[in-house]
Amino acid sequence: MGIARRVIQQFQKPGIGYLALVCLTGAVLFLSGNRFSFLSFSNDQWVLLYAMVAAVQILDRYVFRLPPDGNVQSMDSSVYLAAIFVYGLDFSLCILLFSSCIALFHSQLAWWKHLFNFSIYSMMISGASVVFALLGGENGSIDNYHLHAYILTLIAYFCINALTFGLYLYLVHKGNLFEILRSFLSDALFAYLSTLLLSLVLVILIVSHRSFGLFLFLAIAMLLSHAFRQLFNMYDQLNEKANKDQRTGLFNHSYFEEKLEDYIKEYRERGTTFSLALLDLDDFKKYNDKFGHPRGDKLLGFFGALLKEACEPDQLFVARYGGEEFAIILPGFAQVQAKAFIDNLRKHVNDTHYEGVEVLPHGCLSFSAGIVEVGEMSYDKSQLVDLADRALYVAKAKGKNTVLLYGEQSSLPTSIEEEINEIEQHIRIFLSKDVYTFKHSKRVFSYAFEMADELRLSDEERRVLALGALIHDIGKLEIPRDILNKKSRLTIEEWEIVKKHVLWGKEFVLATGKYKELVPLVELHHERYDGKGYPHGLKGHEIPRLARMLCIIDSFDAMTTERPYQDTKTFEEALHELERCSGTQFDPALVQAFVPYIRHKTGSAIATARQQANG
Amino acid sequence: MVYDGIVIGLIIGLLRAGWHPGLVALSQIRIRGGWIFPALLAVQLLIFSIQDRVSFIGQYSGWMFMAVYIVGLYVLWLNRAEKGIWIIFIGVAMNFLVMLVNGGRMPVSLEAASAVLDPVYTQMLKDGVGAAKHYALDDSTRLSFLGDIIPIAPPYPRTQVISIGDVVMNIGIFLYLQSVMLKNKTRASFVESKSHKS
Repeated sequence: MGIARRVIQQFQKPGIGYLALVCLTGAVLFLSGNRFSFLSFSNDQWVLLYAMVAAVQILDRYVFRLPPDGNVQSMDSSVYLAAIFVYGLDFSLCILLFSSCIALFHSQLAWWKHLFNFSIYSMMISGASVVFALLGGENGSIDNYHLHAYILTLIAYFCINALTFGLYLYLVHKGNLFEILRSFLSDALFAYLSTLLLSLVLVILIVSHRSFGLFLFLAIAMLLSHAFRQLFNMYDQLNEKANKDQRTGLFNHSYFEEKLEDYIKEYRERGTTFSLALLDLDDFKKYNDKFGHPRGDKLLGFFGALLKEACEPDQLFVARYGGEEFAIILPGFAQVQAKAFIDNLRKHVNDTHYEGVEVLPHGCLSFSAGIVEVGEMSYDKSQLVDLADRALYVAKAKGKNTVLLYGEQSSLPTSIEEEINEIEQHIRIFLSKDVYTFKHSKRVFSYAFEMADELRLSDEERRVLALGALIHDIGKLEIPRDILNKKSRLTIEEWEIVKKHVLWGKEFVLATGKYKELVPLVELHHERYDGKGYPHGLKGHEIPRLARMLCIIDSFDAMTTERPYQDTKTFEEALHELERCSGTQFDPALVQAFVPYIRHKTGSAIATARQQANG
Repeated sequence: MVYDGIVIGLIIGLLRAGWHPGLVALSQIRIRGGWIFPALLAVQLLIFSIQDRVSFIGQYSGWMFMAVYIVGLYVLWLNRAEKGIWIIFIGVAMNFLVMLVNGGRMPVSLEAASAVLDPVYTQMLKDGVGAAKHYALDDSTRLSFLGDIIPIAPPYPRTQVISIGDVVMNIGIFLYLQSVMLKNKTRASFVESKSHKS
């Protein structure tokens, strides 16, 4: 009973159920098309079968590797198709049966994969043969008047292959079916087309010269496969050179960025987390100054090898970020695990002796590291790197040989008041240009400050939200006064200019250098939850949470303040508006937190006003 | 047919490995129970030469060849860890099997033989004379698909009729020779690249 239930549970997994379905269909199709007719083959037919099976074996061995991913394409399909065209379904299935038996012996695949392959081939061969028969194709030599039958058969064969295999990938890897099929097409279409057309060539060769024709075909296939292999190896080598850093043997900066982008994409699509660690060798400059650059380079090489060795077992991605900085991507690591790992690595590095490290302040080889886990704060790769870099910066400031998580203790002991003052100086410039924006920024700041308590944010998030709220409209500096203070409706061109203030603001913040972590709030506070906002049209959780919060506060204040291009709403109306647009423009969860906060605030304000009036 | 795999394997092996390293590698071949092979060959020749004179041996020569096969299979089994030997084993076993079920002789397809071979030989087969190891395949032959049914003809330089077991065996021999002869080459190139670096 227990076993039966477990089996049923297994089958309820979509991948396994699908496998079983395909295998069943394949087996049924095979049995209906074959009936083991080889038992009554004549000697001649046996010889032919031997030749064909041998051909499939050779073609399976001499495959084509296709750049860029090294996907393998075998031309065995051309043999099956040629067999359908010349000898019919039954014979083709015999070839498949014998070839599969041989494959079962000499390849290392799991048995169920063999069964799956066999079934898919069986489906493809049967399907193609049915199409061929329906279109009036005759076995034997190629009939020039029925070429369409051949072409459509080839298409059917390809479609069955792409669908069955694509569906499997879709069920197992949970991708987008359309995407999978498209990548299938773009990767293998040309190789597949040539395989299919070669099947027609093979038909002609077999019909006119039988085994000698087959031999010629195989010889060409083997030579081509060899040439392709050389080409692929060359491509691989060049690729390796382009992606590797020569000094350390690690990957280089540009490949790191490429990879990081891939991981972020995967995180967005499938929610697979990862952490990013930035490492910086402590006091490398001292070592370099003391022993010279050649020795320093050697140390870098040594450190690179050390990292590689430590990270290889977990299949982490290690790159030289630049100079004496290194980057590690830890797929599947939450930040706590990542910290434990990097901290272990740090101890290991401390314990590893290298010639001359006595000159370093710690008396050993050491590094500082900043770690950040991908999350809502990090909507693109440079943002993620900035966060890790910030943590690294703090780690350095805390005396080096330290590993820190971003947000753990990221603000240096400068007080937030100082920073608030500094940013206020920046926005003071609005006093003369656009006093509305100045006041608006101050009000949004105070809402944000209180909302931070409401949302129970961490110290670092509180700081980011408050400072971001204060500076969020800084880009409006670039908008001409005429547009800012225009009383009538804006034209389309003017709107485009207004919309740009988020990008100008981002540039402004980046230029000051000190407040990189505020960039998402400045850049994204006009994104909408449903993806219809600007500047990027990000959607839902692609927008960092704090930016979503700022968007609500900003809109609420815009609605309730007198503005050149809008009517004023009362608080109550504005709250209704927020609720109405919750889920489209705004994050519903955050709206739910914001509305009671405002209600409570105004309620108590009214109450105190009454008290004062009464008292 | 045994020689084809050896000859082709040697030529291609020498081309791939280079003349000198190839020969060195060949000289280093070690086969477990290797002495048995020449002994088997001697026994075969002996049976062949005296079967016409000693009637007892002539009568049972087929079965004696079977015994030779079994010993040969045993030696191959001892060496099965080497690359290719396993395939030779399968090929030989296929030939052995079809001979075993057909009274110790290899059935030869007359159609295939007459297509590519000298008619004299075909006639000999039909009359059942001369060849102790072969006989003409007919309806009573069991497992005929394992018999000598594959005609080999120009453009291949030799004309023959062979069995699928022969083909498998030759593939095994070829692969074995390749792996043996290229062993040194891979090692040499490895050493070379190392010395470059240092």
